[in-house]
Parts: sequence; structure tokens; C-alpha cells
Amino acid sequence: MTGNKKWRDTLISYIFCAPAYTVFTLFIFVPIIWAFVLSFYDFSILTYLTPDFVGLRNYIRMVNDSYFWEALFNTFHFSAIYVPVSILAGFVFAIMLNERFPGRNFFRLAIFIPVVVSMVVASIVWLMILSPSSAGFANRIVGSFGIDPQGWLTQSNLAMNSIILVMVWKNFGFNMLIYLSGLQSIPDEFYQAAELDGASRFQRIIKITLPLVRPTTFFLLVTTTINAFQIFTPIYLMTGGGPGYSTTTIVNYLYMKGFQEFEMGYASAISVILFGILLLFTLIQKRISKSSDEAIV
Amino acid sequence: MLTKKKARTIRITVKTVILSGVAIITLLPLLWTISTSVSPDTGIETYSLIPEQFTTENYPLAWNYPTLFDSNVTLGTMFLNSLFVAAAVTILSLLFDSMAGFALARKRFLGRNVLFWAALSTLMIPFYVVVIPLYLIVLRMGLINTYTSLIIPFAASGFGVFMFRQAFFGIPLELEEAARIDGAGDVYVYSRIMLPLVKPTIATMMIFKVLWSWNMFFWPLLVIQDYSKMPINLGLTVFRGHHVTRWGLLSAGMIIATIPVIIVFLVMQKWYIQGLTAGAVKG
Repeated sequence: MTGNKKWRDTLISYIFCAPAYTVFTLFIFVPIIWAFVLSFYDFSILTYLTPDFVGLRNYIRMVNDSYFWEALFNTFHFSAIYVPVSILAGFVFAIMLNERFPGRNFFRLAIFIPVVVSMVVASIVWLMILSPSSAGFANRIVGSFGIDPQGWLTQSNLAMNSIILVMVWKNFGFNMLIYLSGLQSIPDEFYQAAELDGASRFQRIIKITLPLVRPTTFFLLVTTTINAFQIFTPIYLMTGGGPGYSTTTIVNYLYMKGFQEFEMGYASAISVILFGILLLFTLIQKRISKSSDEAIV
Repeated sequence: MLTKKKARTIRITVKTVILSGVAIITLLPLLWTISTSVSPDTGIETYSLIPEQFTTENYPLAWNYPTLFDSNVTLGTMFLNSLFVAAAVTILSLLFDSMAGFALARKRFLGRNVLFWAALSTLMIPFYVVVIPLYLIVLRMGLINTYTSLIIPFAASGFGVFMFRQAFFGIPLELEEAARIDGAGDVYVYSRIMLPLVKPTIATMMIFKVLWSWNMFFWPLLVIQDYSKMPINLGLTVFRGHHVTRWGLLSAGMIIATIPVIIVFLVMQKWYIQGLTAGAVKG
């Protein structure tokens, strides 16, 4: 009787799980394994049913492909600036908006709104703002300081920095929100005690707030980096990876190779490397958050 | 005491000035788009935040504006496409995620742990890494240029399964047992007892799914070439490519594409923030 019920329960549970796990299997588990397999083949959309086995040739090609290295470098360049700046900005404004004062909710909303807007809309609007013409918004602002019109997205020395600017604008409100929730968990007594000891506001932020929000900072550091390494849409829409290859990132290069030049085997190999890099970040997070848990206990 | 109060007043004033500056920067691109969308569409770049002449004609024009190759397809069609896809993704994934979450949280069965870890492992697999095989699978299934290709791959998510599992896990056993004694089956317990008790999780997942599916771009870019099936965000890029100087129309189109997400966010921001925070705390 009980054995019967156990099997019945198991059967019902599998029925409940079936739809979600069918989706996972078909669209995540099979593809991730297939991505590894495909990276050893040469094929295009037309020849994917009869791919040529090429062994490690795609990977060897990658090592010797200077554009791939440039894309990798650009992705690091983007992340190295975007990640700390957007996290720092999020922290600063969370500190400012933690205390109650008139207008607080409006400012929080104003800073968060760009997060909700689609990346497509944001990219098109910024494309107009950063227009190289002297009538462009950005150029009129620098013009009022006597600086010549710049090709914000068309000069290779500026393009990546413009992309970083747009991405910080778009996403630092997210980091602010996460910090705000982290700040809620710090008891007021900590600050009151420090105030009695004569600590200045700035000292209190450095000595109390910063160490106590370390888990939040760490969470943001890892998730923002993982997202930064997958930047695609703003670059695709604003610079197309150019000028030259100066703003081509890993995913833009993957898209170019796989879906514009139809070298899908090579693109699969690039995606495997991307997976390796992102997995490394995830494992570092798991490792460190585990050890910090132990430290607290 | 008085000096402390004074210091606070000064601090708040300085803060308000700085924050106003930042708010202008964060809101300016959108305010400017709104301004352009209600200015006459002269084809000349305008950069005023306050329209010199006010008009609403860009909105119906943009909504009805035909794309270059198919005169039956307008930005309005694409808006409805997005609405349909977002609704379908949201409904299906809420259903599938909560069903799986229910089984994982409330039932004991062989392989439960394996399935739970499998759901978590999907969170570590970035979309761009699986996109080529995924594209080939969708191609093989003959789903290129269909709504189905925009819906089915996202009809469940590891994050959703995880969130629902956590929510169902916290419900006391007594509530379930009382119904079971009355002869209730699993479907009844799931749909009539459990689901109503996790409304906050439903709300959180709903806003995540709606925003995410409305704003998705890369995948539609790959699988939809047919204008009549395009979601509005992809449509906007095509529209821009064809009419780069029609700023009034383009701006109106962008506002049309943005209004739903702003409304959904404003109405449900409490749940959105709760969901984000839950994710961060778990780390």
C-alpha cells in the first residue's frame, strides 16, 4: 500500500516537473552539450546536418586569430572600467538615498528608470545624443566649453568609453537598489555608537558601512562582471563593433562569425571559451561566498 | 542640538542639489525623446527639451507607419506581437515553473535532488553560450519566423523554479494535510491551496518575465526576419534603419515601446524590488 503510494507520488511529481524540464532539456541541456561537440566541427546553417570534423582546428585558429584577441581585450577593457564605476556609483547614491528626506522616492525612481527601459530604446536615444554632428547633444555640451565636435562613437579612442558611459547610465540604478536593500540590514546602533566616539560621517561610511555591505559588493562584483562579459546589444546598435574592431566584444565577435559569416563551428568554439570564462567567475563566487559564510559563523 | 539640526539641513540641501543634477542626467534622454515625439516631424535634428510646437500627430503616424517592404505591417502590429509574446512567455513560465517548484518543495520522490540541482545548474549556463545549438534546434523544428520560437525556449526558467520552490517550501504542512484529509488530490492542493499562498512570488516572477520578454533583442534578431512577426524592439531598429531622419516618428515609436514597461514597473515595483533583493541576499 505504502509502496504503491510512493510510486504514485513519484509519477505525479514527474508529471508536474515534465513541462519545465522538457524546456530545460531541449533548450539548455542538449544545446550546452552540443555546443561543445560543435566546436570540433566546421559547418554553416546550410551544412549543419553534414558537418566536417576538424578536431582542435577551431581552437588553434582562435589562438592565432588577432581579432579574437582584440575582442577579448575589448571585453576586458569594457568590464575593467564599467564594473567598478557602476558599482561605486550605485554605492554612493545608495548612501545618499538611504536617509529619509523630502524627494527621496523621486530620486530613487529617477535613477532606477533607465534600468527598466529596453537596451534597444536606450541605444537609439544615445545614438542621437552622441551624434558626431556639431548639432548633436553631447557635442553642444562640450562645445560650450570650447571643445571641437567629437565622433563619440566613430573615433576609435572614444567609442569604447562612450559605450561604457551609456552602460553605466543604464545600470548603476540597479546596483543602487541592491545596495539600498543591503543598507537596511545595518542596525542604527552601530552608527550611533560610532557617532558617540566622534567618528565623522565619512569615517562611519568607510569604517562601518563598507565592511558591512561587503557581501553585497561581492555579489554585485560577480554578477556585474558576468553580465559585462556578455555585452552585445548596445555595441551592435551603436557602433557595430567599430570603428575597425575597436569595440568588438566576445559576443559581438561570436555573432559576427556565427550569424553573419556563417562559420558556426568557429563561433561554437568561441562560445565554449566564453562559457569557461564565465564559469570561472561563478566558481570564484561560490568559493569565496562559502568561505565568508564560514568566517561569519 | 541646534547646530546638529543645521548641519543636517545643509547636508540635505547639498544632497538635493547633487541628486537633482544626477536625476537630470538619468531622465534627460527619456524627457528629450518625449519632447521630440510631440514636436512636428521636420526631419531636422532638434535638441530642445520643451517642444516649440506641440503636436500629437506623431503617435498615430508611428503606430500606423508601414515598414518599407510590407505595407500591411506597422509599428502597431509589432507592438501587438510583443504584447502577445510577453503574455505567452509570462503565463507559460509561471505555470511550468510553479508546477515544478510545487513538486520539488512538497513531494518526496526519487530523483528530486537531481532535478533541483539541474534547475539550479541552468542558472550557470549563459544564453550566448547555447545560442548556436539553440538556433539549429529551432531551425530543425521549422520554427524560424514563428511566435513559437520566441516563446517555447523561455517557457520555463531555473530561476523561476527555484523561487517557487522556496516559496512553497515555507508553507506549513497543516494547511496541506487538512485538505488531504478531505480527499483533495495534488492538482487541487497545488492550484487551490498552494498557489494562492505564494501570490508575492507570482507577482515578482510576473514582472521579471514581462520586462525580460518585452525587452529581449538578441534572440528575435536571430530567428525573426518576417516583419509581421517582429517584436517592437527589433522593429524599432529596422524602422530606424529605414527612416533615420524621421525623429518625431522614431521617438513616438520608442515611447510607445517603453510605455508598457514603465507602467508594469510603476504598478508592480514593490514586487520587483522584493525579487531583486531576494536574489541578492541569497547571492
